[in-house]
Amino acid sequence: MGPLIPNELIPFEWSSIIAIIIGICFGFILEASGFSSSRKLAGVFYGYDFAVFKVFFTAAVVSLIGLFYMDYLGYVDMSMLYIHPTYTWAAIIGGAIMGIGFVTGGFCPGTTLTAVAIGKIDAIVNVLGIMFGVFVFSELFTFFEPIYNGYFQGNITLVDTLGINPYWFVFIMTLVAIIMFAVSDVIRKRVKKVFY
Amino acid sequence: MVNRKLVKFLSLRYKILALIFIVLAGGLVLLPKYEKQEGISPEDLLSNSISPERYITTDELADRIINQDPTLLLIDVRDENNYKKYSLTDAINIPLKKILDEDSEPYLNQDEYDVVLFSNDNFYSDQAWILCTRLGYKNLHVLKGGINTWYNTIINPMKPTENMASNQFDLYAFRKAASMYFGVAYPDKIKKKPTIIKRVSTSKAAPKKVIVKKKKKKMPVEGGC
Repeated sequence: MGPLIPNELIPFEWSSIIAIIIGICFGFILEASGFSSSRKLAGVFYGYDFAVFKVFFTAAVVSLIGLFYMDYLGYVDMSMLYIHPTYTWAAIIGGAIMGIGFVTGGFCPGTTLTAVAIGKIDAIVNVLGIMFGVFVFSELFTFFEPIYNGYFQGNITLVDTLGINPYWFVFIMTLVAIIMFAVSDVIRKRVKKVFY
Repeated sequence: MVNRKLVKFLSLRYKILALIFIVLAGGLVLLPKYEKQEGISPEDLLSNSISPERYITTDELADRIINQDPTLLLIDVRDENNYKKYSLTDAINIPLKKILDEDSEPYLNQDEYDVVLFSNDNFYSDQAWILCTRLGYKNLHVLKGGINTWYNTIINPMKPTENMASNQFDLYAFRKAASMYFGVAYPDKIKKKPTIIKRVSTSKAAPKKVIVKKKKKKMPVEGGC
């Protein structure tokens, strides 16, 4: 049956509208659960608040388990899902830069915009910084292009690369998530509490 | 009190959720595995294979060849030796063994041509038809009776006896004309126009060149963070 749009159960033209609706819901929930606070996000790096880490890891594991069940029952064809292409060095360098920006600014690209929506000045500065970064990148694109388009690995997943049974991979990933949650709780209890 | 029990229960909430996670993920590992159904559902395949709609008669095929129907694509599923000995005009040879090869797919899995599969009888072409229909390919037809019937009806039509219905005579006239198109010479015609017999059978012409369009794979919708 699914995915709905590639199987033409929903016309392709609806995809933008659905994206906007999902985006609004996502933004609302981000803001409602306090993720527009840069202190909450920075808490992951200082060890006093792991909510962001837990929420996103839980979301990943829930969707992972859910997708595999739906694939098993024939509701979603996993082979038709979009897999983001991997460019090894671009991902590593980009990830490092984003991590630095994450910890210094205290926002992830999504939460910046929710924080702008509630009028946070630091978030507005952060968005301007993102725009500036985009501008610099575009101007120097010819210089960055070998890294940007190089080291292409194709649309690979961890399951393909490691060559293990996907169901075992899901199980191991779930265990890892739960252990990480437990460890993060232990760390949080040892670190001095911060009130914000 | 109820409230205290609830508080006690809720203090364990993360552990319970973690347990649910493990049970669900473990369930995936323990579920019995099965091979996924490829192509159309068994019910559709059965109803398709029972239906005689796939058959095309030799008369119909001859009519379409003579009218130079550009949408016609003939595929000979016999082996190469038989194909070289004799085949229909402009037919392409895809032996039954190679029907599921990657190279054969563009010919079979398309929606521009009406593909007509044929073999000596319709036995092997039916097999090829089943294999391809199961994969969801469309516009596939089978020549009823194959080349044997083609020979008995078009190339060497039987003259109707006098007590037959008039439409049998019409059919005979059509078949005779068709056979002349395919290069059969009749003695009574030769006497009148002896030049026509020189006509070479078109069956040895180079196979029709089909521009194969590789089917575009459906691109999944791009997504990102």
